[in-house]
This record gives sequence, structure tokens and C-alpha cells, in this order.
Amino acid sequence: KKLILVFLYCLSGHPTLPCNVLKFKSTTIMLDCALDTTSVLNYLPLPLVHSPRLSKLPGWISKDGTINLEKELKECAGRLFVDSQPEFCLPEKELLDLSTIDVILISNYHCMMALPYITEHTGFTGTVYATEPTLQIGRLLMEELVKFMERVPKAQSATCWKNKEIQRMLPGPLKDAVEVWTWKRCYSMQEVNSALSKVQLVGYSQKVELFGAVQISPLSSGYSLGSSNWIIQSHHEKVSYVSGSSLLTTHPQPMDQSSLKNSDVLILTGLTQMPTANPDGMLGEFCSNLAMTIRAGGNVLVPCYSSGVIYDLLECLYQFIDSANLGTTPFYFISPVANSSLEFSQIFAEWLCHNKQTKVYLPEPPFPHAELIQTNKLKHYPSIHGDFSSDFKQPCVVFTGHPSLRFGDVVHFMELWGKSNLNTIIFTEPDFSYLDALAPYQPLAMKCVYCPIDTRLNFHQVSKLLKEVQPLHVVCPDQYTQPPPSQSHRSDLMLELQPPPMPYRRCSVLNLPFRRCYERVYILPELANSLVPSELKPGVSVANVSAILHSKDNKHTLQVTPAPPSKKRKRVVEEPPVGGAPKPLLSGAVPLEPFLATLQKHGITEVKVEETTDGHILHLQAEDTLIQLEEDGTHIVCDNNEPLRTTIRDLVLRFLQKL
Amino acid sequence: MEGECFTLLPRVCAVLAAGSSLPDDTSLEKLLDWFSELTTAGVSLVKDCPCLLEFTSTVVNSATSDPCILSFTLKLVGLLASSEDGFIVLQESSVLDLVFNPGHWEKAGHWEDPCVRIGWIQGLRSLLQHTKALCFFVQAGLIEPLLQLQTDTSLFVASAASQILAHILIFYQPSPSLTHNSMEKNEAADKSTNPSTTDDGRCPFKAETDQSFTTVVMLISEHLKNSLVSGGDAKLHHAQQSLRLLVLLLTRLRPPLRDSLLHAVTDALEELLMTDLTPPLMDVILAAHSSSSSDVRIHRLVSSLLSTKKPTDLLHAAAAFLRRGLHDDVHTAQCARAILLPLHIVTGQLFLDMDPADEDLCSMAAQLQNKSSCISIICTCLTNSPLITVLDPSFLPCSLDVIISSILLMLRLCSGDTLSVSSGCSGAVRNVIGSSKVKKCALEALMSVSSSPGAKAEVIKVFTLLLKYLDDPDSDPTVFHKSYQVLVRWISVCRDPSSIPDQLKQDLLGVVRKRVCDVRWEVRDSTVEFLGRLAAVKVHHTTDTEAQSACEVLPGGSSSITPVLEEALLDPESYVRASAISALAQTQAPGWQQGAALTQERSEFVVRLLDVLSEDTEGFPRRAVVQYFISWFSSSASRSSLLRRSVRSVLSRGSADLDWEVKVHTLELAKLLLDEALSAHSSSTKELGAQCVHPYAVIPQPVYTPHTHTENGEEDTAALLETLVEEGVVSVLLSGLVDCDRPVALKACRLLIVLREALCPPSHTDLGTDRETVAKVSFLLPKSGWALEIIKILKTKNKAEEENAATLRSSNCIDELKLGEGYNKGWDGVSGAGCERMSVCELLSNLGLDERVKILNQSSDHVQNSPLSLLQDILSAGGAHTQPNTQLMQEVIVDCY
Repeated sequence: KKLILVFLYCLSGHPTLPCNVLKFKSTTIMLDCALDTTSVLNYLPLPLVHSPRLSKLPGWISKDGTINLEKELKECAGRLFVDSQPEFCLPEKELLDLSTIDVILISNYHCMMALPYITEHTGFTGTVYATEPTLQIGRLLMEELVKFMERVPKAQSATCWKNKEIQRMLPGPLKDAVEVWTWKRCYSMQEVNSALSKVQLVGYSQKVELFGAVQISPLSSGYSLGSSNWIIQSHHEKVSYVSGSSLLTTHPQPMDQSSLKNSDVLILTGLTQMPTANPDGMLGEFCSNLAMTIRAGGNVLVPCYSSGVIYDLLECLYQFIDSANLGTTPFYFISPVANSSLEFSQIFAEWLCHNKQTKVYLPEPPFPHAELIQTNKLKHYPSIHGDFSSDFKQPCVVFTGHPSLRFGDVVHFMELWGKSNLNTIIFTEPDFSYLDALAPYQPLAMKCVYCPIDTRLNFHQVSKLLKEVQPLHVVCPDQYTQPPPSQSHRSDLMLELQPPPMPYRRCSVLNLPFRRCYERVYILPELANSLVPSELKPGVSVANVSAILHSKDNKHTLQVTPAPPSKKRKRVVEEPPVGGAPKPLLSGAVPLEPFLATLQKHGITEVKVEETTDGHILHLQAEDTLIQLEEDGTHIVCDNNEPLRTTIRDLVLRFLQKL
Repeated sequence: MEGECFTLLPRVCAVLAAGSSLPDDTSLEKLLDWFSELTTAGVSLVKDCPCLLEFTSTVVNSATSDPCILSFTLKLVGLLASSEDGFIVLQESSVLDLVFNPGHWEKAGHWEDPCVRIGWIQGLRSLLQHTKALCFFVQAGLIEPLLQLQTDTSLFVASAASQILAHILIFYQPSPSLTHNSMEKNEAADKSTNPSTTDDGRCPFKAETDQSFTTVVMLISEHLKNSLVSGGDAKLHHAQQSLRLLVLLLTRLRPPLRDSLLHAVTDALEELLMTDLTPPLMDVILAAHSSSSSDVRIHRLVSSLLSTKKPTDLLHAAAAFLRRGLHDDVHTAQCARAILLPLHIVTGQLFLDMDPADEDLCSMAAQLQNKSSCISIICTCLTNSPLITVLDPSFLPCSLDVIISSILLMLRLCSGDTLSVSSGCSGAVRNVIGSSKVKKCALEALMSVSSSPGAKAEVIKVFTLLLKYLDDPDSDPTVFHKSYQVLVRWISVCRDPSSIPDQLKQDLLGVVRKRVCDVRWEVRDSTVEFLGRLAAVKVHHTTDTEAQSACEVLPGGSSSITPVLEEALLDPESYVRASAISALAQTQAPGWQQGAALTQERSEFVVRLLDVLSEDTEGFPRRAVVQYFISWFSSSASRSSLLRRSVRSVLSRGSADLDWEVKVHTLELAKLLLDEALSAHSSSTKELGAQCVHPYAVIPQPVYTPHTHTENGEEDTAALLETLVEEGVVSVLLSGLVDCDRPVALKACRLLIVLREALCPPSHTDLGTDRETVAKVSFLLPKSGWALEIIKILKTKNKAEEENAATLRSSNCIDELKLGEGYNKGWDGVSGAGCERMSVCELLSNLGLDERVKILNQSSDHVQNSPLSLLQDILSAGGAHTQPNTQLMQEVIVDCY
């Protein structure tokens, strides 16, 4: 038994874009590696074709004229934007030495976007574990991001505004942006490839040993294709990492809840960002607004990621098109990876929900968007250039990225359709504030509808889940331990647990509470055979073991002590030292009255008994000797009278059992 | 037929007495029903059917009778003895003593069977209709076994026993004019007239009955008093039964008796109230209060009822008190507070001026922490809050507008808006967030308070809130529906629609446009329905006394609604399409009434509707189309050519529809044309059909009022008839007449009779040239489809008349039915022999409409339900049908219940 110290280093404060490091049993495990892209909202959009509007925006000069950042900062509708290649806010790098990380566990493709920053620039030499769809779709998303950036290169990189003195002078929200010096430009495709080459694929419930110390295993989390929660366990301790899980019946395999049971600690991240927006209602709202706009002759723009919710949107529309008389309306999906995303989704059959899996055996494509493509209702293009411009018909519905509206083809449609109030932009991704996303496009005539679809667990579901799996302790972002600031009375929108959850924020280091602190030690059979157990009390037997403890790769084995060297053989220096036969172990209690009687028989009559909290002190006045009888020990304090001490010792031993 | 039945009855009795098997287990009940009908009609069964007496004595004396037959016999004896004459006969033959002696049945081992016990009770119930019966009842000592049966193991027996106990006290209670002193004086007068009952159906009091009655009252009171004790399950069950009986009695007994009964049980009630408050106990106390509100002891009982410490019981008691319309200075205000308490706590509005440490408040707050009890408490509170808004303001603990704002706040809480709530009640608030049940109750409450005095000031708030509800994507479709209903109600009470801010109106239009595209058809349907209702509601402008349609609250008025509704005509869900057509009719109605000129779009729309009628695969939209034209035709100020043309088209398409309701609607339209023609002919024939509000509801049966001929306006009768032929009315009616669906045929037949009475005078009346002109109006019967059947009827009729008209008339209805069945099956083999041009009047008089309407008026199972058929069934099943008539036997085979 030894004291186990488990630490959790929190490198990201964003509850749905987690990056934590768990130090557990001599392993250092990074849990997710998400990239906070909300920083791009401070930048001007990157238009695909020259935008006179954006190029004419006035530059910023401080009121007193002392600071001139005309080239770096532009003003649009009363807000300042950085005119530069957008940059991302990375996970914290200074909290611990990231080169010591042994493995990175990825829970879903949205939570791996910072991977190249970690694997390529920190001296990381470990392995990344992820499921196949996570790797493939994650690669698509990274590739898309890189292409969006590289398509519109900006030589200039704005850095002056990041100067602390200058930033303090800027108006909000630039003034309040944190850690701006750590913000980094997007990685390159080469870095992506190198980072992803470190990924080792795993399947659900597959067990992977890490240095013999812990075992990791991904479980289906029900949120997206290949999304997983992770179990990290040793023989006696179990940590569950729950990140981005969903109990709704959408396309992925349902969440595996039962394997999360009996956890000592459950790290909970990635709950819904929209606890009050029910995904079903939002999906309905999305369809109604879409139909309403098309009926009125307008176009619909849906800024979205190229994988994930879009599959559900297309499926919902597939059913809705006919009922809303939208049969003739074209649907366009524009992304550098549109084709791969639509095709990948159809081939990961084993990662889909049961209904979709059974379709594969018919054989039918699991997702109905195949039929939409076949009937020419849904068309996909890598970008607005090329075929799209010749096929383009209005009114239409366009799905395209990036949901931040700062780069990607969506920027073009914003410029194109923003001026007409017939058109509608429907936000479905919950990652960005839609008002902030729209800020550089103001004034905007286009209608805006916010239908965030977040299928991740809500507070009601998570309370039920935790009641079911009963972890001893829950660790979660501190945002989950209080109601959202805008709805401070909604006590239903927070985690209320007993014991209360341990909150973390960016840069927190938590010492995780573990109750059980044991190691498993193996005994070799021949050693086990030599043991002579004796029953201490019914059901409990003990035996003396003399052995050599052999520890290798975090596995501990008790081996037989080698026999003492024969006299004939030469003494070898390396041989382990041979101890004498161990003294027998004692057990039992010394009963006071019989012991006093025994002392009397041996001529010790003047005994003063004093009761203490732990037992008794016997004062042998004539001999000036003390005997302390306690529950777990007996002390004989007797100066300069060795025969008496030995006598008393032997008397005490009479009452005890020897093993 | 009755004679025939009486002839069969002895054989039936023999079959029953022999214990033969019965056609089914309802036969005996039906037989008893028939006997009851006969008795009510004044037939003396004892005299007219002596076989029944024989039967009863045989069964009663037989040791081996089937319990069902025994039960039947017990009920029959009661029925036979329900008249004094019958009673005397049965008593003389000593059957009565034997039949109603429970000991007899116990000895025979039949009393164990609940069906015998219930037969005994129901027999007694029939018997106890006169004074002699009561004396017999008391003298035979039947009250004791009856009281015991009140706690019988069989619930039916126990309930029947309670019912009869109540019957005895209510039926034999002294008439209000007859006090004990005056009774004797009136006895002579009673004897001279010797009525068995008074005008109000109760037994007049007589001396011998007085004593018996007093005994009965005493025993029942004693029984009630003793049974109203708390204790174990058995005692509780007994007490509950007695409480139910008490409720029956307290609501129907008159003062002296009621008071004495109350006096007897008040102590017991007080004691019961201390231990456990059950719904029946609550009912008894409230019933007592409503009958003797001035009684101090009852007052005290109500006070203890309303000071119960259990929050849910208190709430239910208060609601029950107000629901009964009981008012007194002390308790009404107390009830109002109790009902509003949950609202006070959850909304945190604290309008009740209560100490936070108040015991009631604390225990209610604790109850509200629990989710299931919280929802049920809030719903009870909201459902009953309208009871408070109608109370005199002096009883109210707060002003009405506070109650309305609390309901509004509750609705806001349900949708998660908790900003204005104190955190003290967060547990309760958490329970109601998102609860559709609470939402619906609160909306219902909001609807009922719309007409209360403080409502007008809240219109904007209500409007804003309802808009939020309609915009909430998470709302249940039923919540949407209710929200729309509430909105229409509030708009209709809003005297000044211009006071609603433009932004709200704009938002409403936006929401409506969105909801009409909703994924859920229920929501789309509710939205379309709402638009129709909005158009139908009339509101008064403050500056302008002329009423205008409430759809003017939407920017653009009805012109903004029409495109939305026209889009809904393409909805994949037939209910939505039907609702859209109906709503369009409502939006267009004002234009029709004002005789507005038809636009090109409107004409195109009419063509679209006609396409729906001929092409839509579902019945509902087609019914709605016909209904649309009915509305247009009946409300339009002028008959445009488009209307005339379309109506003709609707008549031909609608009458050929496969849906019988579409056909009935089409006949309704034909009726309007007929009414119009006839009113031109004679104003007295004007008969407007009831307008069906719902697009696919079946039109209620119109009242048939035959036309009375007047002397004026006959010169254009022929022209009118000709117009009706040309417009297709005659052909619609004729095709309807031979329709296989009875409601269609019946309606067509009635309308044809109206037409015949109005326009085709009988040949014997001497109307000179006019009759001849009318007779010349002809109709071309095509040689296909329904016309073939008309020709067949005419041929059959002519042939039959030639053979022997009189024989046919005297034949029973079975022959007529065969004729009816014949035309239902079709006459494929009959040749049309070319198009036949026939005189309309001749056609109408030769179709046998009067006989046909009689047949059609009978329900489809009239033959099977006749007593004759029943008796034949019993005989047939019993194998005692000694003179089999093959034809009848065949009928019996198909005669199934």
C-alpha cells in the first residue's frame, strides 16, 4: 500500500475544447488537444475575391493620435478587427513540460485540432490514440482549415497590436483578449501529416497497455462518428474521461454508459453549449426558417463544419423537402473536403448506429444524402470557383464553412447575399457567438436565425448518467458548477452533486482524490506453494513471506529467495544478501486480569493499573518498571534490569499467538 | 308485432324455465328491457302475460335453476310487482315472500352467487314503487340483509345496495307540503284520488307507510352512524361506502329528513375528519354545507376541512368548495387563498401577505420541491384559479391583475425565464421548467381570465408572452394549439387592436409564417386553423363602431394571410389542406358578404379548389372544398356567374365522390340551392341549414319541415323546377337517393320530398294549367350508373302496383327491407333501354319517397333489435321452435348481436 498522487493539469479553460494532462501511475497522458478558434472572431474575414467593402474600411488611430495602427486594425460598424491572417489560441504550454507526455488520447475530431502544435513543436515523442473515423475526419477538418488559410494568403502578420501597452489602449473586445502573444497562425499541411502519422488507431473497447502501469480503452460516446470517452485504469484505480457525449439517437453508435461504472474519478467535459436549446426543436426551427425563406424567394446560407451535424441536417431535410414543397430547390455543399466528407460518412458502417448499420447489409447507403446526390437535389463542390459558378441557381440553400465567417467560401456568400432581406443565414454550429461572427458584415440586411444544434449531454441527462454510473468524484470545468451568467436563476443548468464536483479552469493543477492506494503484486507459483497460512480469525489467514520483490515495467513480482550458497561454491558478489529466518509474527491481545494474575504468580505484586485512551499502563512500583499495554503494541520500560525485562516479555508472549 | 310476441312468450318462458342455453348473455337483459318498456307503456304484464307468473313460480320453486335465470326471475318479479295490482296478485300467490326472502336463497345455496344478490336488489328496486311495497319491505325484515349488502365483496352489489337505500329514503320521504300533522288530514283526499305517486314522481305519504318509513329511516341512520368510523381496511371500506350513500342522500333529501340524518352523523363525521380526509368525506361535508349552510356544526365541519394540514388535501377541498358555488364570508376567502398559495410560492410574487414562517406556506413549499406532486399541485391551482376571478372582489386576497400577472409569470417560468423570480423557490421552479402539462393548464387559466375586469390592461403582456410561446421551438404541438386559442380569445376581447404595438403585430406575422412551415403537421394545422379563426373573429375599433376582422391585427390584414394559406393548400398532410381551405373561406367571407368584385386571382383560386375536389386523394380536403362553396353560397350577397358555374361543378363532382361525407356535404349545398329556389317561390320554405364550423365535420341532420303550399308565386313554379334540373340539383338528389350510404340516401330522400311537396302538387288538387306546365318539366335520365337503379325502382314500383298495391302495403317491413337491400347491391343486369326523358313530378311521385324515408329513418339494426327477433332467438337457441318458418329461421341465422 502506498499513497497514490494523481494530478490533472488543465491546459484549456474552454469547457468544450478541452486539453488536460493526467499524471497517473508514472504515465503522463494528454486528454484531448482541442484548438480554441474563437480568437479568429477578432480578425477581418478573408474574402475569396476582392471585396471593395472590406478594403475600404478605415484603419485605427488612437484618439490622441499617438498610436497609429492603420494597417493592422480596421474599424467596421464600431468594432475593431485585426487585418491579418487569423490566429488561434493554443492550449497552455508553460504549465508543464509537454515533451514528457507519453500519450495523447483523442475523444472526437473536433478535439484534435491543436495536435500539430503539440506534436511538432514541443519535443513530443509519444503516441496519439484515436479511432479511425476520428483520424480521417479530423484530417479532413485540418486539411480544410489549412486550405481555407492558404487559399487567401496574407503576407502581413499583425503583431504591433499585441504589445501589452498598446492592447490596453484598444477598445473591447480586442482589449480583453487573453494570451494574445501565444496566438499562432495556422499550421501547414506538412505539419498535419507529420502529426497524424503519430496516431495509432484503436477500436471501441480495445484495451491498450501503457508501460504496464495503466490500461486505456476508448468507449463509444454517441456524439460523432468514432467519438469516444476513455477509461484509464490500473488494477485498483479507474479514471473515466467523458468528453463530448450524446444520448440522442443520431447517426453515431450509441453511448456506452455501463463501462463508466465504478470510477474513482470521472473527468467530465464537453457538455452541450446550448443547455436551453433542445436539438430536436432547433432542427425543426432550422427547417421552418429554411422553407419560409425559399418560399419567399430568398436564399439560405448555412455556415457549418464539413462533418458532423451536417449529416443530420441533410437527413432531416431529406424528409422535409417534399412536405415543404422544396423538391426543386437546389442544395449546395461547398468545401474543399465536401466530397470526402460525404463519402467517408457512408463507409464507416461499424461506427454508426444500429439502424444505419443494418442498411449497409441490404445493401443501401446508410445516410440518405446519397439519394439526394443521386437525384441531383444535393450538389457538392470543392469551392465556388469552377463548376459551381456555372451550375449555381437561385433560390438555393448553401452549406459551407467556416462557421466563424472569417474564412472559407462562406465569406463570399456573406458579401453576395448580405444586402438582401430576402436571404437568410441560419447558424447551426454552437461554437461561435453568431452576433460576433456577423460583426464585420454590418450593416446587414440579410435575416439571421440562430438554431444552434448541440447534441451533447445536457445537465438533466448528465445528472441522470452520473446517478447511474456513480463515480466517487467528478472533475469538471468550473463553468458547470454554477448557472450560466445570463441565467443566474436557472439552478437546473448546473451540476449539483454530492460530493460537489471539483472545478478546474485554465492552468489549474488538481490533485485528484483517490481512496484506494494499492498495487498489485504477483507471487510466483513456487513461492505460493511454500506458504503456510494460518487462520487468524474465521476467513482471514496470514502467512509469512520471504521473497525478493522484482519490479519491471510497472509490474511487481515476488520471487523465491535463492537458496543459501553451498559452502563449496564460491561466494558471488552479485547474489542477494541472505537474511536469517524471520522472527515469528505475533497477534492477539493481552487480557489485563489474567496478566496481572500471572505477574503475581511471578512475585510481582505491587502493580498500579492506570487506564489510558489506548489501553492500560501497569506501574510495577517495586521494580520501578512500566508496562504499556495498547491495542497494537506492548512496551516494557525497564532500565538496567535485563532479567526482569526478559521475564516480563516472556509473560506477555504467553498470551499472544505466534505465526 | 306485439301480439305475435305475446303468442311466443309462453314458449319462451318454457325454454327459460327448462334452463336451455341462451343465444347470448345479453338476451335476458334485453327481455327485461322489453318488459320494462311494456310496463312503462301501461301494459299490465300480470294480466296480459299470465305465463310470466307461472314461470316465476316454477323457477322459484325449482332447486336446480341457473343463477342467471334466478337473477332474471328476481328482477322480473320486482317488475311485475311494481304496480299495486301486480303486487297484490304476487303476494296472494305467496311468490313475493319466497322470492325476496334471502334465507330461501341461502338455503338453496344460490346466495353465494353475486348475480343472484344483485337480482334480488334490483328486483327490490323495481318493487319499491308504492306504499304497499314499503310495508312489505319492512315487515319482511329486508332492511337488515340490504344494509349488509352495502359492504358486499362484489362492488356492483355494494353499489346497487347503496343506490336502493338512497332510493327508499328519497322516494318515500314526505312531500314538502305534507308535514306529519297535516298528513292525516290529507289522507282522505289521497284515498279518493288514490294516486300511486305525486307529480314529482315521489310516493304520497300514508299512515301505514309512515311507520314503516320511520323504521327504515331509523335503521339506516343508525347503520350510517355506526359505519362511519375509522379503522382498518374493512372498516375504512365500510365507511367509504356509507359516505358515498350519504352524498347521494344529502343532495336529494328535503329538510326535515335531511336535517335529522345530518344530526345523526355529524359526530361521526367530525371524528372521521380528525383521522383521514378522503374525497368522499370531502364530498359529504360540502354537500352538507350546501344544504344546511346555517348549521353551526356543519360550519365547524367545513372549517376543520379547510384547516387540514395536508397541502394537497387543502387545495382539493378549497377547489371543491368553490366549484360547488358555495359562498360564505369566512370560507370563500380562505379557499381563494388556499388555491392561490402554490402560485404565490412558485412565482415568488408574494401577493398573499403571509408570514414566511406560516405553517401552511412551509408545508406547501416542501411539497412543491417534489417534482410529481409539484406538477399536480400547480395544475390544480391553475385549473381552479378562474373560479377565483369570478368571485366578489371582497373575497379576493389580492387584485385580479395580480392573479393574471402571476399566471403570466408562471408561463414565463415554464419556458425557463426565471430572471424575475426570487431564488427561494428555485426547487419548485426547476420542476415546472419545460413542463407541457403546466403550460397547458396555465394557458387554459389565461384563457378563462381574459374576460375578467382587470384583463384589458394586460393585453400587451399577454400578447408578448404568447408570441414567445409560439416562437419557442421546444413547445409541444398541443401547447402551440392552446397558445393560438388563447391568442384568438385575447384578441377578441381586445377592444382596441390598434393599441397593440406594430412590432408585436410584425412579430406575430413572422411567427405565423414560420410555423406554417413547421416540421410537425400538428403545428402547421394549428397555425392555419388559427388564421381562419382570426379572420372569423370580429373586433370593434374604438374610433370606429364598425366591426372588423381580427386578422387586421396582422400587418397587411387578410392579404398577408392569403398567400400563407394558399401555400398550405399544397401541404402533404390532408388535415392541413382541409384547414387551409376552411381558413380561406373564413378570410374571404367578408368579401362575399359585401359583394366585392371577383379578382383574377380569386377566380384562379376557385379553379384550384375544384381541382382539389376532383383530384385530392384524401377525404378531408374534399369535404372542406364543398364546405367552402356552401359558405360562399350562403353568405354571398350576389350570385356571380363564377359562383353559379362552380356550384354546378361541385354538385356533379361532389355527388360522384367516394367519401359519403363529401356526398352529404354536396347534398347540403344542393339544399341551399333548393332553399333559394323555394324561397323565391314561397318565403315560408326558407330553411337555412346549420353551418358547420369545422371543415370535415359531418353536417348535423336538418330538421325536416315539409313545405306548405301557398297560393302566391305559382306561375313560375315550372321555371324554378327547370332551373333546379339545369343546375344539377335534381340529379344530385336522385343519385343520392340510391346511394349505398344511409345518411346520404336519407338526406336526399328528405330533400326530394321537400321538392315534391313544394313544386309537384298531388294530381287530385286542381291547379289548372300550372299543374300541367309543371308536369311537363322533364329530366333526362342517363342510361348508366345510379340512373339505372332509379329506373329499376320505378319499374318494380309500377309492376307491384299493377299486381296488388294493397298487398304490398300490408306486408311487413322485412319485404321492404329486401327492396332496400336490392338497390344497395346494384342492378347490373338491368338494361337502361336508352335515355329516358321523364317528367320530374311523375318521377318524384313514383319513387315511393314516403315509404323509403320510413325505411331509411330506421337504424340499420332495427330488425335485429326487435323484441320479436329476440324471442325468436331464444326459442331457436333453446331448440323449442316447434313450427319452423324457413324464412324467419334464415333471418335468425344472420341475426347476431
